[in-house]
Amino acid sequence: MTNLLRRVRPEQVRELTLVFILIAIVAFFATQIPNYIAWQTFNDISTGVEVIAVVAVGQTLVVLTRNIDLSIGSVVGLVAYFVGTLLASVPGFPAPAALAIAIAMGGALGAVNGVIVAFGRVPAVVATLGTLAIYRVALVELSGAKTVTTDSLPAWLLSLPRVSVVSLGQLDVRPLVLLALAVVIVFQLVLSYLPYGRRLFAIGSNPDAARVAGLPIQRDVFVAFVLSGALAGLAGLLFLVRFGNITVVAGQGLELQVVAAVVVGGVNIFGGSGSIVGAFVGATLINVLQQSLIRWPAVSAFAQDAILGLLILLAVASDKVILGRLRTIWVQARRRDEEQAAATSAEQAIRGA
Amino acid sequence: MARDLVRRLASWEGLLLAILAVIVVVTGFAVPGYLNPQNQINLLELSVEKAIVVLAMTFVIVSGEIDLSIASVMGLSAVLVAWLKEQGVPVEVGIVAALLVGALCGLFNGYWVAVIGLPSLAVTLAGLIGYRGAALLLVGDRSIGGFPEWFNRLGQQPLVGPFPLALIVFAVLLVGATVLLQFSGFGRYAYVVGSSPEVARFSGVRVRRVKLAVFAMSGLVSAFAGVLLLARLGAVRGSTAEGFELDIITMVLLGGVSIFGGSGTMAGVILSILVVLNLRNGLALANATGNTQAGVIGALLILSVLVPNIAAAARSRLGRGRSAEAAVIPKLSDL
Amino acid sequence: MAEDAEGRRLAVDAPTRTPILEIRGVSKRFGSTQALDDVSLALQAGEIHALLGENGAGKSTLIKIMTGVVQPDAGELIVEGRPVRVGSALEAQVLGIAAVYQEPMIFPDLSVAENIFISHRDRGRIVDRGAMRRDAKAVLDRLGVRLDVGEPARGLTVAAQQTVEIAKALSLRVRVLIMDEPTASLSAHEVRRLFGIVKALRGEGVAILFISHRMEDVFQIADRVTVLRDGHWISTRPRGEVTPASAIRDMVGRTMGDFFRRTPTRPGDAVLEVRGLAREGAFAGVSFTLRAGEVLGLAGLVGARRTDVGLALFGIAPADAGEVLLDGHPVTIRSPQDALRVGIAYTTEDRRQLGLIFALSIAANITLPTLRRYLSRFGLVRRAAEDAVAQGFKERLSIRAPTVEAAAGTLSGGNQQKVVLSKWLNTRPRVFILDEPTRGLDVGAKAEVHQIIDELAHDGIAIILISSELPEVLAMSDRILVMREGRQMAVFDSAEATQERVLAAAMGQPLTPPAAVV
Repeated sequence: MTNLLRRVRPEQVRELTLVFILIAIVAFFATQIPNYIAWQTFNDISTGVEVIAVVAVGQTLVVLTRNIDLSIGSVVGLVAYFVGTLLASVPGFPAPAALAIAIAMGGALGAVNGVIVAFGRVPAVVATLGTLAIYRVALVELSGAKTVTTDSLPAWLLSLPRVSVVSLGQLDVRPLVLLALAVVIVFQLVLSYLPYGRRLFAIGSNPDAARVAGLPIQRDVFVAFVLSGALAGLAGLLFLVRFGNITVVAGQGLELQVVAAVVVGGVNIFGGSGSIVGAFVGATLINVLQQSLIRWPAVSAFAQDAILGLLILLAVASDKVILGRLRTIWVQARRRDEEQAAATSAEQAIRGA
Repeated sequence: MARDLVRRLASWEGLLLAILAVIVVVTGFAVPGYLNPQNQINLLELSVEKAIVVLAMTFVIVSGEIDLSIASVMGLSAVLVAWLKEQGVPVEVGIVAALLVGALCGLFNGYWVAVIGLPSLAVTLAGLIGYRGAALLLVGDRSIGGFPEWFNRLGQQPLVGPFPLALIVFAVLLVGATVLLQFSGFGRYAYVVGSSPEVARFSGVRVRRVKLAVFAMSGLVSAFAGVLLLARLGAVRGSTAEGFELDIITMVLLGGVSIFGGSGTMAGVILSILVVLNLRNGLALANATGNTQAGVIGALLILSVLVPNIAAAARSRLGRGRSAEAAVIPKLSDL
Repeated sequence: MAEDAEGRRLAVDAPTRTPILEIRGVSKRFGSTQALDDVSLALQAGEIHALLGENGAGKSTLIKIMTGVVQPDAGELIVEGRPVRVGSALEAQVLGIAAVYQEPMIFPDLSVAENIFISHRDRGRIVDRGAMRRDAKAVLDRLGVRLDVGEPARGLTVAAQQTVEIAKALSLRVRVLIMDEPTASLSAHEVRRLFGIVKALRGEGVAILFISHRMEDVFQIADRVTVLRDGHWISTRPRGEVTPASAIRDMVGRTMGDFFRRTPTRPGDAVLEVRGLAREGAFAGVSFTLRAGEVLGLAGLVGARRTDVGLALFGIAPADAGEVLLDGHPVTIRSPQDALRVGIAYTTEDRRQLGLIFALSIAANITLPTLRRYLSRFGLVRRAAEDAVAQGFKERLSIRAPTVEAAAGTLSGGNQQKVVLSKWLNTRPRVFILDEPTRGLDVGAKAEVHQIIDELAHDGIAIILISSELPEVLAMSDRILVMREGRQMAVFDSAEATQERVLAAAMGQPLTPPAAVV
């Protein structure tokens, strides 16, 4: 066992386990639900996941720095509503402009969070709990409690969910899914290959060392919140496409699902470790679970939240306990290796001398 | 860096009192009959369940933790009573069961935080989702009503004079909580644990027990408030009490209780409850919707932490040089 | 002897080219403590310069000034002939001044290569993993070290983490590398490897300021040796002109005259017996007997692990081997509650972090460990009783405060320490472990605390005094137990203990055979 652990890092074990769990869940439900393994199911699941996945990407950036963004649900709703109203009232409004506005608006909302947390030194949970309420108010005021209805939206928007970019037999690859995947890939690359991304890990891994090393912590955290908001804005546009009807409660409760996805996906709630891909797998897993539960008559559809809560707790607890143990074993194994290597080299030095 | 408790508190409570006075006077002038005692009672009644939970939440935050699951426990306990009633269990028994479940939820939270050492933010976030989920499992998307007449009467009619049961309970709990926090050994331990768990540990304080107790209390009181809410509303759905945690946390933090733990007084919290409730009422009377009120509360929440931070930063920048250095006690090995 | 501009003696063969970093006439005061007083030091490129001094000599303050953490009250820093102001850690980095501490600051989740290059601004827009790994390997090669640069830094030993920090400094074109107690946590083999690295650095023209308590290390590697004492510069000599004895004399040479004189107390029966106490990774083989009314001084230098012994006896970090007997009965202490129950009290060395709650009143602080005594039947605090107790201590120990309701944070250091002492005295201990009780206190306050300790001994309390101030240990103790790196080195009777003997034992260089371990 220790031999295996020596070669594979605990975080990789975690990610592999997640994939195995996902496969196990799919296998389990396949035995319980007729016609489960069908492209239709895949389509259903994939069209549900893109909103959460995109927001989870942004949330990962924030959580990596030991912060959290609880306001994204309100941001998604606000942007969805605003852009929807815009598209409804200005016929022929160009799609790219709508995209740009969604992202910019989200980014601005995220910037407010960033200022309060990074520069005002208000704990993220307090700051984003507050903006969660404030942005929701803005939505209500803006909307005058009216709803954006599907018939007011341009045709291109409404048909997006059903358009297929590629059709492989019965499998439809939808543009929104591709977009979500693209976002995931882009930001995974950012985290892996941009100095900014690496600094996010550093800040969460050891904030004191980050300060001593002179890293621009405040600026980097601020940008993380801006990105989280911008991605939430993008998700707001996806939300609009998916649902069409936007009421004043749009997006409410989204933040809980996103945090669940991120935590289950292996992003450490204390920051410093995790990956975008992991968060994506976490989002997928939760979505699969939810969609499967709906189809499974044995369990009430209302069990979703209870299971979600349990999942979060299990993920955080097992990370602390199991990952912690794995890490200790791994560290000890490496140290023993080093000592052995040192001893042999010392022997050689003596023999050679 | 020494937290000058006494001085800071005197000014914070004074500020709250001034704000309260302003709000009351302005609304008193703008809305005739606002200051009418019966009106005040009615207004207080609408949020008394939240105010009760605020009392317990104060202990949680003073001891350096946070509990996001309170609203879900409120909802769960209300749903539990209703669901048990449907199963034929008398409401009295259902209430006891709900209280037990609430305390268990609290202990469950406390176990993961105090014994395993998980961050309370994550654990109670899971609780917020999970306990709400449990409530949904029981009640689905229905609404359950039809409670016995005595139950509804207790919840909605005045009990002693013009005061309904809930207000009386709140008053009693208020006195109890004040005594417990400010005058009892347990309250002292809560402050110490929140102020510095290390010093507490080095001083022989059982930190784990204190935290477990604080969370159990939070769960129990939330369950109790949930039952009161049920009695007042006469019916419950899966979404009952959703979103209450925002108001509750705001009322605690606005009362001068530091989010980092170790400071704050019940006096401040009481004043802050009055400020928030009157503010909500004033806004409601000015035809602001529930959502607008929430937004204002949200802004208040941020400001209640932001403003002291800015003040502290300004103070340290002004007082730099002599006092800042004099406060530094050099370690011998540091020299 | 040649003299420099300041009139200080210079060794004959001191290089006359411009020093890479020069500290001239630097002074720094913290509150009532003069940490540095007109200290001057010149570092040459490509030399290993050892800095010796007891705890409190001023070494850490000097490092802080050099790395921009603290600003001197007087004097200047001169880099390659140009006066500079090091206002922040970043400025120090730009000037090429870096420090590696005993506890390395690394990012456990990032790879070794990333740890080395994380604060570099000039590596371009995209992280080139391959190039980073190659460059990291190159830097490590310059140091003669081989590490797996792709692995997370979490798994590295302290020695390897140190190496990473050195590599980081090297990659940032360090010119002056300060190493603070680098060998304290290393094995012999790791020390050898570190010295190889340090010599490689020297070969690259880096000036290394090497602070260590281990004489054998100093004499193996240093080119020149500087000694500080009580914030004063004492001497700078080439290694060839220094012996361990002469260095110790320089570090210590003060008169014992004005120190507190203990009133003679006849010790009672044995109260505490410790046999073979050990905790893995901290200390081992600690054995002693302590009698009522006796003061056992625990002496040693940084890294001696004396505090760990205290923490083990108090149950915060329990021992995993050995026996503890109280009045002849074995006791198990696995928590502070256990310790309090058998009558062991412990005052921490860090009064601010661990000793007092500053926002709480004096009375509340004093009664904290014993609060149960002052609760009424309903669990309410009996304020009157609490205040009476606090008042009693206020008078007995002369705590200067307006009332016992004043917040503990408003008191001066000396009075705070008295509150801490009161807090633990109130637990009616039989064994009282005092960890650096007079740290940071001025002369007057120190004397008061010593008086209190003397009275406590008179009252029959067995006292373990952990202190890094040799004169204090020598003046106050009936016996002195010297520790070094977790091991018990010697036990001296007060009659035979001198500063030199104790310091020598603490550094592992016994001058005369140590007394038998009791």
